[in-house]
Amino acid sequence: MTRRILLLAGALALGVVAFSGDRFWLQFLGKAMIGCILAMSLDLLVGFTGLVSLAHSAFFGLAAYALAGVTNRLGLVNPLLTFPVCLLAAAAAALIIGWLSLRATGVYFIMVTLAFTQMLFYLFNDSPALGGSDGLYVAERPVDSRAAAYVAIWAALVLAYLLLARILRAPYGRALEGIRVNEQRMRSLGYPTRRYKLVAFVIAGTLAGVAGYLDATLYGFVNPAQLGWRQSGLILVTVLLGGKGTLYGPALGALLLAFIEHYGERVTEHWNALIAALVIAVVLFLPRGLAGLVQGGRRA
Amino acid sequence: MSLSLFALQLINGVEYGLLLFLVASGLTLVFGVLGVLNFAHGSFYMLGAYLAWWLSERTGNLLLAILVGLPAMALIGLLVERLAIARLYLRDHLSQVLLTYGLVLLFNELQRALWGNDVHGVATPKSLAFTIPLGEAQTWPAWRAFTALCCIAVAVGMQQLILKTRFGMRVRAGASNAEMVEALGIDVRRVFSVVFSAGTALAGLAGMLAAPLTTVYPGMGESVLILSFVVVVIGGIGSIKGAFLGAMLVGIADTFGKVLLPGFASAMVYAVMAAVLLWRPRGLLGPAFEGR
Amino acid sequence: MPEPLLLTETLTRRFDALAAVDGVSLAFEEGRVHAVIGPNGAGKSTFLNLLSGELRATQGRVRFRGLDVTRATPDELSRLGIGRSYQTANLFPELSCADCAWLAAQSRLPSSMRFFRPAERYAEVGDRAARALEVCGLSGRRPTRAGQLSYGEQRQLEIAMMLATEPTLLLLDEPLAGLGHDEALRVVALLTEVARGRTVILVEHDMEAVFSISDTVTVLVDGRVLERGSPDQVRNSAAVREAYLGEEIA
Repeated sequence: MTRRILLLAGALALGVVAFSGDRFWLQFLGKAMIGCILAMSLDLLVGFTGLVSLAHSAFFGLAAYALAGVTNRLGLVNPLLTFPVCLLAAAAAALIIGWLSLRATGVYFIMVTLAFTQMLFYLFNDSPALGGSDGLYVAERPVDSRAAAYVAIWAALVLAYLLLARILRAPYGRALEGIRVNEQRMRSLGYPTRRYKLVAFVIAGTLAGVAGYLDATLYGFVNPAQLGWRQSGLILVTVLLGGKGTLYGPALGALLLAFIEHYGERVTEHWNALIAALVIAVVLFLPRGLAGLVQGGRRA
Repeated sequence: MSLSLFALQLINGVEYGLLLFLVASGLTLVFGVLGVLNFAHGSFYMLGAYLAWWLSERTGNLLLAILVGLPAMALIGLLVERLAIARLYLRDHLSQVLLTYGLVLLFNELQRALWGNDVHGVATPKSLAFTIPLGEAQTWPAWRAFTALCCIAVAVGMQQLILKTRFGMRVRAGASNAEMVEALGIDVRRVFSVVFSAGTALAGLAGMLAAPLTTVYPGMGESVLILSFVVVVIGGIGSIKGAFLGAMLVGIADTFGKVLLPGFASAMVYAVMAAVLLWRPRGLLGPAFEGR
Repeated sequence: MPEPLLLTETLTRRFDALAAVDGVSLAFEEGRVHAVIGPNGAGKSTFLNLLSGELRATQGRVRFRGLDVTRATPDELSRLGIGRSYQTANLFPELSCADCAWLAAQSRLPSSMRFFRPAERYAEVGDRAARALEVCGLSGRRPTRAGQLSYGEQRQLEIAMMLATEPTLLLLDEPLAGLGHDEALRVVALLTEVARGRTVILVEHDMEAVFSISDTVTVLVDGRVLERGSPDQVRNSAAVREAYLGEEIA
């Protein structure tokens, strides 16, 4: 119960910032909240289904590039048009990549998702037509005020949380849990487990696409680095840091990482080493993440 | 495509495949025996290359640099295994991925701190700075031939070691049932340390051999890592033969891809991987049962 | 003569050169308890794994109610009404007894791809799970984590999970393995209760139990059927006694 109140308070606090007019905070927290959406959607896969996917950034980047594409090439600006198109792009990619990747299990799955992510990275990075390593500007953003973008991101975060929490309480969520704990047993109990995993993969990928769309809206710029495995790895870090399998934990992890990244850059040139040390420390000493410090139970 | 051009590309493809095999065999060996997927494997390739450059600048001779660099790489591997990897043996996949990911970030920073962001050329040793004529129009650089020979020697040596020696037997035993091996009194930990160091040295050697060919630059480990993952997925985890087969496929596909479809060379390789996945989800020579 | 519920036709499974199950043709009548026994390595577990879809047959066919299910996957077989319990407890160790039974019961929903109604609202699932736990005597252990149950209780949960899927054919893989005498008696009583109105194929080593509850007994040796008949027939067969080389079977 206290957790619910705290989450509500946090959400309200974040929402209030929309009225602040402070350029820095709108941009910074907007970016941080996008990270929260990415983290929670990845937690669906990692924490609840037991699938460690390195392809998450691929769907994030694809939706962002899709926005740049439809705006720059087709002149579409209205979010009512561009949003569904970009979401569809991310969902379709998740369906194809998921279907292929889920033919593999265990570490094979992880390696295959990595390979597909890199494939997309090279595709965008090496094609001048798609912007190359410099990336692309979005000619005209779906919403032009930073505050409006912030509100959209905030709304998306709240809705994403509510959606995921709902799904996880439903029979589907229970099935995912069973698959995570003992997939083989679930099969012998009558569940066609691959189908369930694919659905989770597509849901997660679509939400990553939402994040990508919002990111391109906030910055007006897309670049290939958003698609690579480094980015995927960082999202994974936020999941572990916050506590996998808790849904709110990874969101906290994303917020924390955003702060560390920002202030780390000020402190030292080698702040990547700082992140590295943090990651290694968390894996070795705090495997249950921040949420693990807070509680013993699991259900979101 | 003329016959001699085809032959040259084939040789290039095989040679590239051999280098990939060196890297991938280390990766698959470590996973097969230790059960750990090491994302930092590409970093060892990079470290090997940087070491080769740095030492050859100091000593003036690349071959000497390699001779000194190899044991150094093995030592680095040993340290990394004892300090970090050993803690992953009973952990889940997420922990393995993230710990080794953290190591990648760390090694990248280390490289940048020690040697900066510049690209460095490495001169081939004078003794091998000639070319071998192939037919009428094409020639093959001797260094490439030397590289290929080294890889083949390593491959044969590994096969002999693993199949014909007592140590190799322990490695194979450890791969199939570490608990049992431990119960029999054989120090599995030592086997693990040696295997990991060997894997590190293999990646490092590949980096050293490739240094004159690709130049030495930050992030050079990444593309090699991804490709060696593709090789292992195609060939099957834990199988050295599979790594060889996969490496040949990838090396040749990539080389011909670059010549025939310049924009889509990398896509070729992933297409092959996707095709293999559709047909054999556990790789061409992977384990028959559902393992780790 | 009613059509058998399950039929195998020269069912064979080879591992390289070894035929673990070799040309086994058997008919299993509905409503009866069929035991499959044999010395170690006879292929009993392999046979059961072939029936539950976890192993693929090298040769031969399996028919369930006339339908060819040789290539069916474990989940397809489960949905057809074939339930399976395992020799070593195959549970969800971090989940509570109640949750384990729930997952088993939930599998009978037309589809678990339900995303919006909380699971608890599916009362039929809860009832099914509760009933299964009650039959198996685990109602009092609902909140306990499966991994923390005693060995015997884990066996009971195994059976409860199988029951919660409301199977018509039960495949039981050595349900009494490793149980002490009292616990074994309890499980045998449970199995007798559970077998009522259902068809059971039981692989077991415990001869006393086998002969007390089975209607037919099949003896497998080296992957082939040596003898088949009523418990008395098998008990008195010289060939069977020889196959067990002096083991006590009476």
